Amino acid sequence: MEQSNLSSREPVLEVRDLRKDFTIHVIGRHVEALNGVNLTVGAGEHVALIGQSGAGKSTLLRCVWRSYRPTSGHVWLRQRDGAQIDLATADDREVADIRRQQIGYVGQFLRAEPRRSVLEVVARAGIRRGAHEDDATDQAVTALREVAIGEDLWGTSPVVLSGGEQQRINLAAGTLYPPHLLLLDEPVASLDAGNRQRVLERIGHLARDGVAVLSVFHDLEAVRQLATRVVALCDGNVVADGAPNEVLELVAS
Amino acid sequence: MSEWALHVEGLTKWYGSTLACRDVGFTVAAGEAIGIIGESGSGKSTALRCIAGDVRASSGRVLLQKEGGAIDLLELSDAERRGLRVDTLSIVFQDPSEGLDLRVTAGGNIAERLTAAGWRNFSAIRSRARDLLDRVDVPIDRMDDLVETFSGGMRQRVQLAKAVANEPSLLLLDEPTTGLDASVAAGVLDLIRSLLETTRVTAVVVSHDMSVISMLTSRAIVMHQGHVVEAGLTDQLFEDPQHAYTQQLVSAARG
Amino acid sequence: MTIAELVDSSVTVEFAHLDEQSKRVIRRAILTAVAVPGYQVPFASQEMPVARGWGSGGLQVTLAAIGPNDVIKVIDQGDDDGINAANLRRLIVATTDVEETTDAREATIIQSRHRIPEEPLTSAQLLVLQVPVPEVLRGVERDMNEMRRMHAESDYSKMWVSLYEDLVRNGVVTASTGYPVLVNGRYVMATTPIPRWDIPQLDNAEFLTLFGAGREKRIYAIPPHTKVEPLTFDDVAFEVEITPGATCLLCATSDTYLIEVPSHHGWICSDTDFCTRKRQDNV
Repeated sequence: MEQSNLSSREPVLEVRDLRKDFTIHVIGRHVEALNGVNLTVGAGEHVALIGQSGAGKSTLLRCVWRSYRPTSGHVWLRQRDGAQIDLATADDREVADIRRQQIGYVGQFLRAEPRRSVLEVVARAGIRRGAHEDDATDQAVTALREVAIGEDLWGTSPVVLSGGEQQRINLAAGTLYPPHLLLLDEPVASLDAGNRQRVLERIGHLARDGVAVLSVFHDLEAVRQLATRVVALCDGNVVADGAPNEVLELVAS
Repeated sequence: MSEWALHVEGLTKWYGSTLACRDVGFTVAAGEAIGIIGESGSGKSTALRCIAGDVRASSGRVLLQKEGGAIDLLELSDAERRGLRVDTLSIVFQDPSEGLDLRVTAGGNIAERLTAAGWRNFSAIRSRARDLLDRVDVPIDRMDDLVETFSGGMRQRVQLAKAVANEPSLLLLDEPTTGLDASVAAGVLDLIRSLLETTRVTAVVVSHDMSVISMLTSRAIVMHQGHVVEAGLTDQLFEDPQHAYTQQLVSAARG
Repeated sequence: MTIAELVDSSVTVEFAHLDEQSKRVIRRAILTAVAVPGYQVPFASQEMPVARGWGSGGLQVTLAAIGPNDVIKVIDQGDDDGINAANLRRLIVATTDVEETTDAREATIIQSRHRIPEEPLTSAQLLVLQVPVPEVLRGVERDMNEMRRMHAESDYSKMWVSLYEDLVRNGVVTASTGYPVLVNGRYVMATTPIPRWDIPQLDNAEFLTLFGAGREKRIYAIPPHTKVEPLTFDDVAFEVEITPGATCLLCATSDTYLIEVPSHHGWICSDTDFCTRKRQDNV
């Protein structure tokens, strides 16, 4: 009990003074995308990033995922076993391990895997996390049902499906065997209302089950529905961090 | 962090006074695939061939984890290294004729690897060869045809089947899809990907093609003029390349 | 011979055609071959008064090994009267004055092309085989250095592949003469030119077999009591040549190596000595 109290107080993700510059050598251009960002995400918290295009929302997500290399600052992850690691400076191999086992990243686009069926694509995600194949397949079936991908599509290759279907498959895969930390970059951008609601519900369940979620949504409706906290970014700086209603109001004014 | 399976350090090769690669180093975990990207002449294939032992490195260390401890491949005798090539280390070449005997049947090529490892039962060899060819999608009715009658893509599939016949712990792939038609290359790539995922083999993939590296590896190093200019997670190298050369490579691949 | 004659280089000792120096060179190669069963030992092959390819290698081995008390038998295709056999025998007898015989039991040295006598040989006998192509790997590899490496590392997978391919293509191993054998668990060796029928005789034999290849300048050996295994898959039995129901037209035997005589629509023993003695009830 003592320990669970402690762990729920300590954030899963703690970003400190994070800076990200881009230097495009060929044209000699230097861009400062993040200028010392601070934020935390606790277990069971859903923190939504808002801000205009170019504010640094996706850059921040990618710095945490480490597909962008932070220029300076820290990205502390408290791992499942309690050990802290700074993803900003950790060895690539270590990051690759942690990604596979503890972090889910769901972007807008599914990475196409030709000739592999929808069910396999989703089950593979679980196998990569160390699950047994049969168990992963069972979980994949449940996840696909939840995001309303009909059984008639399970045997086909996702590359022939619509963008909306691919996005839901992507989400099912990214959230199979709930990760410790889930990063969402516009996961419902191309979904119709019904499917959008199903996906949002699945995400909501994950946070309630204790997953730390950091997200970027195109529409503020999704933020209102899911976020437990909202962080507003402007020109690479955090300009507001607080309860969803307060921050959204502030931004609207 | 998971245990490393292959550790390369300071790998350098001079041809007389010409530098082929210098101070190449990386560490690969068991079951992980690492990429080496670079254009032709960057030294990436030389580095790979030094690891395989087909080219004698001028200096460096290539440590391979085996039962009973790590061994330095560069310190082995030629015979010892060839012994490793039977069941521990396999290389897949861009040109299938380097890895296959074209005047032998598909099954016979696999039989060569199996008999080298001591298989002496004809029907067991037949059935293992059949399984392997099936796994790489070579029609079973082509098993007894000479490989020289096969298309390029099919030859490459046979080469892969042969390479994994004895379940090596380390698989080196040198431009495995270069030279194949795009659709054929995609199929072979997909096959390699599934082999890497299902066999827990440790792999080093050399390619000039960023999409190949991206599809097969989680981490990669970038080589330019014999040197490693950048190392990182593969998606980071694509999305946030740091070195001017990597940026050029990425923008060329996107253009 | 006096000491004066020995030191006088103008007086040559003529026994067994070759000079003593040449014989010593060949004997050294033979000793090496015996020490490393199945390994092809290079030797300085001489010009002989027979064409290379006509038994010059076997002849040099015989002449280097023969002594005044030996009894020689020479056969070609199992036949003592073959032209090649007769010529070689005449040359050996003429230069050594040893006794000659056709009876395999009486001979101390048997030089042969193509056959081992049906009569089991004893530890007191030496079998010398004339070899046209000593290199067993020639059919599967072209590069000499690579062949040497394969032998050195016991890397015989290409041999196995050729057996595999033979089985796949023909359903049986078609190699008849020159069937590859593994000697003493180490070297794969060509048994050229004997038929498969004779191979079981080489395994754990009482006698020493020396193989001489004159043109290729190689000598190799199977010492007595050496394991000789024909290369074959565990589940594909090694089979010798047998024509079911065939018997010798002359001696009516069915358990010898028979050769077909199309003109008489039948078979006869390849080993003429054995066949003759069989008819005389002398076996």
